[in-house]
Amino acid sequence: MNLDQALQTFITESRELLADMEHALLNIDLSQDLGDQGEAINAIFRAAHTIKGSAGLFSLDHMVAFTHVVESLLDAVRDGRAVIDDDMVALLLACCDHLSSMTDGLAAGQYEADPDTAPEGERLLQQLRRRMGAGDDPAQSLAEQSLTVRPEPDVERMGQEASNGDSDYWHISLRFGAGVLQNGMDPIAFLRYLARLGRIAGMATVADALPTADEMDAELCYLGFEIAFESTADRAAILGVFEFVQDDCEIRLVAPRGKVSEYVELIRALPENPARLGEMLVQCGSVTAAELAAALAQQSQQSLHPEVQGEAGAHQTQEAPQRLGSILVAAGQVAPVVVEAALTRQKQVVEQKAQENRSIRVDSDKLDRLIDLVGELIIAGARTSVIGQRLHNAELLEATSTVSNLVEQVRDAALELRMVKIGATFNRFQRVVHDVARELGKDIGLAVDGEDAELDKTVVEKIGDPLMHLVRNAMDHGIEPAAVRVAAGKPARGMITLNAFHESGSIVIEVSDDGGGLRKEKILAKAIERGLVDPERKLTDAEIHNLIFEAGFSTAETITNLSGRGVGMDVVKRNITALRGSVDVRSVEGQGATVTVRLPLTLAIIDGFLVQVGSSVFVIPLDTIEECIEFAAEPGQDYSNLRGQVLPFIRLRALFHIAGAPTRRESIVVLRFGKVRAGLVVDTLLGEFQTVIKPLSPIFSEVRCISGSTILGSGDVALILDVGALLQAVDGRGAAAPALPALAV
Amino acid sequence: MNLATIQHGAEPLSTQYLTFLLGEERFAVGILHVKEIIEYAGTATVPMMPDCVRGVINLRGAVVPVIDLSARFGRGVAAIGKRTSIIIAEIDDGEGKQVLGMMVDAVNEVVEIEPADIEAAPPFGARIRADFIAGIAKCQGRFVILLALERVLSTGEVVELSRHAVPLATASSRAGP
Repeated sequence: MNLDQALQTFITESRELLADMEHALLNIDLSQDLGDQGEAINAIFRAAHTIKGSAGLFSLDHMVAFTHVVESLLDAVRDGRAVIDDDMVALLLACCDHLSSMTDGLAAGQYEADPDTAPEGERLLQQLRRRMGAGDDPAQSLAEQSLTVRPEPDVERMGQEASNGDSDYWHISLRFGAGVLQNGMDPIAFLRYLARLGRIAGMATVADALPTADEMDAELCYLGFEIAFESTADRAAILGVFEFVQDDCEIRLVAPRGKVSEYVELIRALPENPARLGEMLVQCGSVTAAELAAALAQQSQQSLHPEVQGEAGAHQTQEAPQRLGSILVAAGQVAPVVVEAALTRQKQVVEQKAQENRSIRVDSDKLDRLIDLVGELIIAGARTSVIGQRLHNAELLEATSTVSNLVEQVRDAALELRMVKIGATFNRFQRVVHDVARELGKDIGLAVDGEDAELDKTVVEKIGDPLMHLVRNAMDHGIEPAAVRVAAGKPARGMITLNAFHESGSIVIEVSDDGGGLRKEKILAKAIERGLVDPERKLTDAEIHNLIFEAGFSTAETITNLSGRGVGMDVVKRNITALRGSVDVRSVEGQGATVTVRLPLTLAIIDGFLVQVGSSVFVIPLDTIEECIEFAAEPGQDYSNLRGQVLPFIRLRALFHIAGAPTRRESIVVLRFGKVRAGLVVDTLLGEFQTVIKPLSPIFSEVRCISGSTILGSGDVALILDVGALLQAVDGRGAAAPALPALAV
Repeated sequence: MNLATIQHGAEPLSTQYLTFLLGEERFAVGILHVKEIIEYAGTATVPMMPDCVRGVINLRGAVVPVIDLSARFGRGVAAIGKRTSIIIAEIDDGEGKQVLGMMVDAVNEVVEIEPADIEAAPPFGARIRADFIAGIAKCQGRFVILLALERVLSTGEVVELSRHAVPLATASSRAGP
């Protein structure tokens, strides 16, 4: 295996594990007793343990050393020797960060401890050790729920059909002597030779004799094998295979359909732990679970209590018989061939693998490329069908319509690939809230809702920073200190709520807090002081609230570490507007505030409505269209009568200086954006069209009223109208008039 | 030293140039700038742009702006003829790589021009802006103007033009071909 690739995998996995660990740490409920915390603690332990193990593989000693101490502390927690509390969570989070920075260093090619972060690591280690010193003797009853990371026996199974395990196989139990390799014998060569006599139906490698890495001598052989062997050869022939090593190895053979007692004999004769050995026999297919259960029962009658071979072995002896027993019950104890434990186990492994493989990482550039290509395919398909129509070939037409149908499905699927759940973004804030709350000395919790709402990855990437600002702002300015809260009759613990849901082609993200809310008078006074509003003007509550998004606005009396520098909310608004979104705030004084961010689901695709003026085709975003009506104008005016209401309209032909005379039957598309409603006069309505947005070249950056372009089925380019800008230009007629001479016509 | 000069300085590595006609006049661009040449088959007009931006075309899924070179040189909007072509060029004008189309009256051929045969632009006398000219070469007994594409297709300049484009657009009627 390419070690570089393996290292990349390790880095990726470690990051995921650290994220899991962080998540578990943040979600651990400190008020619960250890029993209920078990799963979370196990998850944390598992992450640390796996990182330690994998880091060991790459000889990343600094990581191993650090993780080892973390793991020891977690082990102490599991055993009840240490108690997890708020400080320990903070400490472990810091350890998480330290490991993350080590992983980042690794990704940057740093394989040794970084001298810059080493003191930090040392400090953490000291704290960890101090925590470990505290605590009483182990509460033994809790040890049972401890998760033991059990070494998996290496099972190699050749051919599924062998798994009926009807003991039609020879069973060969091989224990190679330590000296075989030194004597020039290679165990694998014998196994290969054995395969010439028949078929190896199943094999379990017994690696129990393997000492720890320090003590291992690479020249010695520590391995044994349990083999289920299908062959017509007789005992002598099979033994003959191992003739050359017979002095150096222990061989035990059990003939096909051997008696259970023979296996019991075998199990007793071998040095390994009986339960483990038993499972291996099942795994290699020589013994069925039922037989094994019987054998083990027999064995325990003989009160052959297993010597504890470390934790793992002890754990298994407790568990294995019970598990096999339950399988027996499931099978009703009547089936001649009992469901084979090995098979079940194998299936589990396969399923687990399948789950691991269910998601893959793909460079998003590749997805963009795919979407581009599919767009091309649609255009090429459209051309083919045009040709088909010209040729009047029904068969060809049928084929092209099938193709274009499929291509559209492919496009939808391709776009779907870029959709991600917002949950991951939300969960990042658990940590933010935890840390910021500590920093502020406030008790603040985070509730998250609507994690499953999906949106385009490009939007997700860009929404992180604005959300961060909103959350920090809510914590800093929104949530009051505990004393104030209690005095106001609220729970001492403040809550920030993140919520997401879909609403008519957009995703809505809400950041709410149950704090003091926005203080209208204060905001208004500040705005007047800063010259943001005219003191004479009467503003509605909503207008006053939304003043916080104005540039250079901040009402915080003290500038804190977090916010209050007067930059922030206006930046948030700008970033969100740049994503074709909008932001709004609602607040009830004394009860909290909710900031609502509305964003398009994707930046890549648009549901549009095609209209034509002269020879130009334009796309109007469908969600801005209210209706389409036949053109009719009040004589000499640029407005129409829409069911008794005045509807001002824009003549697109005049606005864009499109040559040619209007068609005889023009139409008006009634647009609404925010509170503005207006009509747009066009020549022809062409219908709905879902399309991929193509960004326009930077040379068009000064063009208002056009937000992008797209390619039509015919291969022609159509421009997407920016309805917001269009209506704004009309609305602010005074300023925009020189730029829009059309309106003066 | 800005990017354009760096690139210009690197140009002598290739001595091949693509020559084309604009009216009766021959121009040439370094072959390394040229991605491909396509037949003119109409453009989608982008409103409120100066005349030199003819519109956009679909180049196999990418939307590429097309510059009307004749209008860019102040000679009025080009008339569409049988041999009208679009040269797809890639330039780096310091704001990242851009792909743009250049509408020309006819594409001629690829010629070899030795650096020794290239003279600096004359301070006056040429009927296009001096900074558009990278040099003048003698080729097959005739002069050919080598264009400084980074200047001719400068994004910044076109954006600047488009900022004031609307009054222009009102003045000159943009009648179609």
